[in-house]
Amino acid sequence: MTGRLEIEGVYTAYDKADVLEGISLKVEPGRITCLLGSNGSGKTTLIRSILGLTPPRAGHIVFDGQDITALPTHKVIAAGVACIPEGRKVFPKLTVEENLRLGAYQEPSNAVTEERMAEIFRLFPRLAERRIQLAGTMSGGEQAMVSIGRGLMRAPKLLLIDEPSLGLSPLFVKENFNIIRKINERGISIFLVEQNVHQTLAISDYGYVLSKGRVVMEGTPSEIGKTKEVQQAYFG
Amino acid sequence: MDVGLLSQYIMNGLMLGMMYTLVAVGFTLFFGVLDIIKFSHGDVLTVGAFTGLATYIGLRSVGVSSTPLLLLAVLVVAILAMAALGMLIARYLVLPLRSAPALNTLLITLMLGTVLREMVRLFYPQGANPKPFPALLPTDSINLGQFNLRLDNAIMLAAGVTIIVGLRLLLNRTKLGLAIRAVAQDEETARTMGINFTAIVLITFAIGSALAAIGGVMNGLYYNEINFGMGLLLGVIGFSAAIIGGLGSIYGAILGGFLFAALQTIGAVALPFASAYKDVFAFTVVIALMAWRPTGLIQEKISERV
Repeated sequence: MTGRLEIEGVYTAYDKADVLEGISLKVEPGRITCLLGSNGSGKTTLIRSILGLTPPRAGHIVFDGQDITALPTHKVIAAGVACIPEGRKVFPKLTVEENLRLGAYQEPSNAVTEERMAEIFRLFPRLAERRIQLAGTMSGGEQAMVSIGRGLMRAPKLLLIDEPSLGLSPLFVKENFNIIRKINERGISIFLVEQNVHQTLAISDYGYVLSKGRVVMEGTPSEIGKTKEVQQAYFG
Repeated sequence: MDVGLLSQYIMNGLMLGMMYTLVAVGFTLFFGVLDIIKFSHGDVLTVGAFTGLATYIGLRSVGVSSTPLLLLAVLVVAILAMAALGMLIARYLVLPLRSAPALNTLLITLMLGTVLREMVRLFYPQGANPKPFPALLPTDSINLGQFNLRLDNAIMLAAGVTIIVGLRLLLNRTKLGLAIRAVAQDEETARTMGINFTAIVLITFAIGSALAAIGGVMNGLYYNEINFGMGLLLGVIGFSAAIIGGLGSIYGAILGGFLFAALQTIGAVALPFASAYKDVFAFTVVIALMAWRPTGLIQEKISERV
């Protein structure tokens, strides 16, 4: 099975100030690995570092044996990574269908793209009804569907998910986490970055806790759930 | 005024509008993908026209005399050379300045425009003088009542319409066009989709510069004369057209291009002062329009960018 991500001693800085200070963690193939942390702990920066949007200044990121640390974003994607970004980031002035097509941008076969789109429409029948609607005119929950669908269009080995519950109603958050589990059941490795501790731990196989740019603890969900450090990472 | 004369003016206005549109669309494309103003755009048009002329003279001197062949060669060489020039400008001047304020890009391309213009003046043989541009299109005219429709004008107009429609189809119906629109809306998310951002920028600059080359050749064919300073005014007009239409919108560029040409034509024909004041009139109206609608006639909020 593929989709293994290894992060080794990564330091990432914006304007010379380090946001990540030596992060090391592993995402095992076929598992859901989560990274918990409060606002400003560096979660999104780590996602950006993996994707090459903000390349690390030191350390290594290895995906399925390939060093992707210094690669431009499109090559990281080509290696088999996809991302459901924070805040959904749908293209507001493109239709639902165009948004989904962009998810499969690197897929050369039109037939495969169509097939995957049909699959996304089976997963989210609501999107099928709205395929020609501009994504920017949809509700937050619907945009989340577009963003998830778009990430799946890539048929990735590893899916990075950045705060899927941000700004959504509790009912939809629950629905979202169910979908994440379903995606994982297809064999896609998932790296889930979240603030929502309980629901995240409920679906994860392994977890890390990030605080002020460092991993302060790691373990199985039950280990993490028990410790005081999680509380401290959030409130301390 | 008789109908024949009026229709001549309208035809002339349409021709000008088409050329302005070709330039304005370039400004809109560059602004769309990179949020920058590339001020050397008009001078790229000049270089395109002179490249076309040099190709013509070169081929004639080796004995090529078939007019359709010459026209094809002039267009192809001008388009390819300017597409390459556009990519070089993007790669070595515009992209390296991405992290700098947008004003720096404006300044550096303004200077590049001067360099291009002066190079044509100094290095093209007798480049300081206007050059006759060959009539490569059939100049017969069809008589429609009082109106003489010149065949070359009709062909150029049809070609211009075809190019704009083609560009629209490229942007709306192809994967490349989808990628350009995605980059225009959200560069980072577009990259996250696996789009090679640098490649898309280079291709967009190639397309915009190729359109300028077509505009330059069209200008030569229409006036049968080109000069080293032709791109300066065309650049300013194309830029104004893109702005009044609403920078970032293709429809805005088309609207702006034809609106400016209409203003010039009205200034030359319908107003009680000499036709030399047509540009003064047109720019005055543009200033008034911008005061009224600072973000352009087609606002970016409702129009789709690129």
